[in-house]
Amino acid sequence: MSFGYTDIGYAALLIAFIAAGFSAISFIVGKVQGYSELLEAGRRAVYAVCGLFTLASLVMIYALVSRDFGVSYVAQYTDRALSLPYTLSAFWAGQEGSLLFWGWLLSIFAVIVLVQNRTKHRELMPFVMAILMATTTFFLMLLTMVTPPFLRLPSAPADGQGLNPLLQNMGMFFHPPTTYLGYVGFAIPFAFAMAALITGKVDDEWIRSTRRWTLFAWFFLSLGNFFGAQWAYVELGWGGFWAWDPVENASFMPWLTGTAYLHSVMIQQRRGMLKVWNMVLIIVTYALTIFGTFLTRSGILSSVHSFGQSNLGPFFLAFIAMALVLSVGLLIDRLPYLRSENELDSMMSRESSFLLNNLILLGAAVATFWGVIFPLVSEAVRGVKITVSMPFFNQVNGPIFLGLLLIMGICPLIGWRKASKENLIRNFLYPTVLTIGFAVIAYVLGLRDIYALIAVSLCVFVVSVIILEIWRGTRARRRTAGENYLVALCSLVWHNKPRYGGYIVHLSIVMIAMGIIGAFAFKTEVDATVTPGEMINVDRFSLKYGGLSEYPRGDKDVVAASVEVYNGGKRVGYVYPAKLFTAKQEQPTTEVAIRTTAMEDLYVILGGWDKDQSASFKVLVNPLVVWIWIGGAVMLLGTAIAFWPDEREKRRLDARYRAGGA
Amino acid sequence: MIGSQARSRPLSAVSPRKTSFLKQRKFLIGGALVVLAIAYLVYSSLQGSTVYYMTPTEVKNQAQSLEGQVIRVGGTVVDGPVNFDGKNMILKFEVTDNTTTFPVVYKGVVPDAFKPGVDVVIEGKYTAAGVFEATSLLAKCPSKYVPEL
Repeated sequence: MSFGYTDIGYAALLIAFIAAGFSAISFIVGKVQGYSELLEAGRRAVYAVCGLFTLASLVMIYALVSRDFGVSYVAQYTDRALSLPYTLSAFWAGQEGSLLFWGWLLSIFAVIVLVQNRTKHRELMPFVMAILMATTTFFLMLLTMVTPPFLRLPSAPADGQGLNPLLQNMGMFFHPPTTYLGYVGFAIPFAFAMAALITGKVDDEWIRSTRRWTLFAWFFLSLGNFFGAQWAYVELGWGGFWAWDPVENASFMPWLTGTAYLHSVMIQQRRGMLKVWNMVLIIVTYALTIFGTFLTRSGILSSVHSFGQSNLGPFFLAFIAMALVLSVGLLIDRLPYLRSENELDSMMSRESSFLLNNLILLGAAVATFWGVIFPLVSEAVRGVKITVSMPFFNQVNGPIFLGLLLIMGICPLIGWRKASKENLIRNFLYPTVLTIGFAVIAYVLGLRDIYALIAVSLCVFVVSVIILEIWRGTRARRRTAGENYLVALCSLVWHNKPRYGGYIVHLSIVMIAMGIIGAFAFKTEVDATVTPGEMINVDRFSLKYGGLSEYPRGDKDVVAASVEVYNGGKRVGYVYPAKLFTAKQEQPTTEVAIRTTAMEDLYVILGGWDKDQSASFKVLVNPLVVWIWIGGAVMLLGTAIAFWPDEREKRRLDARYRAGGA
Repeated sequence: MIGSQARSRPLSAVSPRKTSFLKQRKFLIGGALVVLAIAYLVYSSLQGSTVYYMTPTEVKNQAQSLEGQVIRVGGTVVDGPVNFDGKNMILKFEVTDNTTTFPVVYKGVVPDAFKPGVDVVIEGKYTAAGVFEATSLLAKCPSKYVPEL
């Protein structure tokens, strides 16, 4: 066979594999033996690996864009009819491409870390880079030996097999890349943590230098989950956004532990406590990101979006096992260095409430994990195959998240060490009174679902605590600086970005919680078959079915129902739920019609029809769902503020750093 | 030796540990309570939410003991009689594991990925008449789409 451009891609990955392995080893040997030349060689190899990964990725992009169906991957996931953006998105549609994309991101992150710390952390950096390069080597091993992305077919077919219609949604551009950015991003704090253990430099240095990376990874993992939920909501057409599918859980678990970590490092930075705990959390989070890829890619659990069986399972399991054994072993060996500088003083303290928040988050992760693996355990132990369905996850996580909401209200404002009576009264008296008042009124007005009542009341509590705090800060600033309210508010936030960014994220969580409560507790659902002119009544809405029409759109054939919507007797417009057919793929795609308002989503699915134009619909009214997406946007804002460099925070930490004398 | 430099350094500001146990006991108890509460939650929720996951052959063999019980069945849609009554949203098809085949009746919105030959997971009851009455139907959506040629 002649030499093709895809061989360049393969060669690049092969050389990168060698370079990454070399780099990892030379960092360790260079550091331990004190050969600065080896360290320099290791650093250069990091750039080389990134360059080679970029080259291989460009080859992939070229193969996709040039529609070279001689390349097996291109033929499997695209066809001529596919538009250019979706053709490009096929980069991460399949297993080989996903792993290539993952490795590419990791190699880019490695270069960024290297450049950021060129003159810093001389002790830590060689080990940080060695760990990042070892992870990269693992992915390169998969890419060169197990699932090579550039396999060629014996002869090029005239056309490819096309991208699954369900993947042809805007979500395809957002959900996979953001999730990957999150997954890969957690490798950086993990690498720093391990480097700190190896060198014994277990003060806060590693936490300080990875705060941004942690926020970055957490942020993208959050976004990834949002985009996934949104995608499922508009595309899968069952009316919900979260099904506790193993693959969804796969990205949810590291999010939980990552959130716990994000909070508990604050305690270490402020009080020098929870050092072992933080190590455990970051190790678990890193392992869960790899486990997530394993779940998604191995097909070991039956999932609605299981991507077909593959041979990757054992490799991932071996890698996770190795990472866990090494990092936990290292942690145990270094326990004497990780002694707490302080002790818990009181139950009523910031430290205790953070610890409780951590326990709850980790509890949710463990419970979810147990639900995910229980079918495997049951099969192995009792020989009985079972599945754990949605009710389990809802029943378990419902109360846990209520606890989390409560803690979210208390945590940020309770005093350190031992909260004084004044502190408690000052911060929580009004919100508590307001919350109880609200709960009583809501109950009297007819909110009898006890779960929903508690949940909504807790939302009121959290919001009122935060608003009270912001109001006080603004008022004080207005007095002292003589600014007007708006300026005072902005400068308040600006001069303490991590803190107020955090508050904004908390407010966004409340919005999301409201959306979830609405969708779970107050959803109404109706299945109906109607003839043209007939009405369907759901909640306050009446839907008048007008009839079906069929028309072409691009290469697709659309069958759409026209439905007139009345809200409380008043006409508010039309919706057009539809099914799309393509000539080539006999699988239709359902196009759900969603009419969104701040109060609720009207969600209409066209189920089927008959020759006489009668059609069947599934209609849902999902209250408050839009607040989940708005909450996502607010979370973006809050994280961006917390991410922004903050002078005061830096000075404060510098001061602690010097005082600590570490 | 790695870390030897750090090992020789005195540990900074470690507080005395005299009263440690007594002082920390209530936190340990508190933490244990939270852990126990979550464990209980997991245990009790698991009772009602696990469903047997079987192949059509296993279902047929244990038909008697399964009567009236909600189960999940994984199998392949038989490439043959698939009947969809769009008016009433009733779908009739047969599911198989290549050994045993039985008819399925499902009422509801049919997932897009459903078609003959595709893998499905159905949830419902196996009736004495040998028909599976499904209340939910999931069709696998592989990211790799292979059209029949």
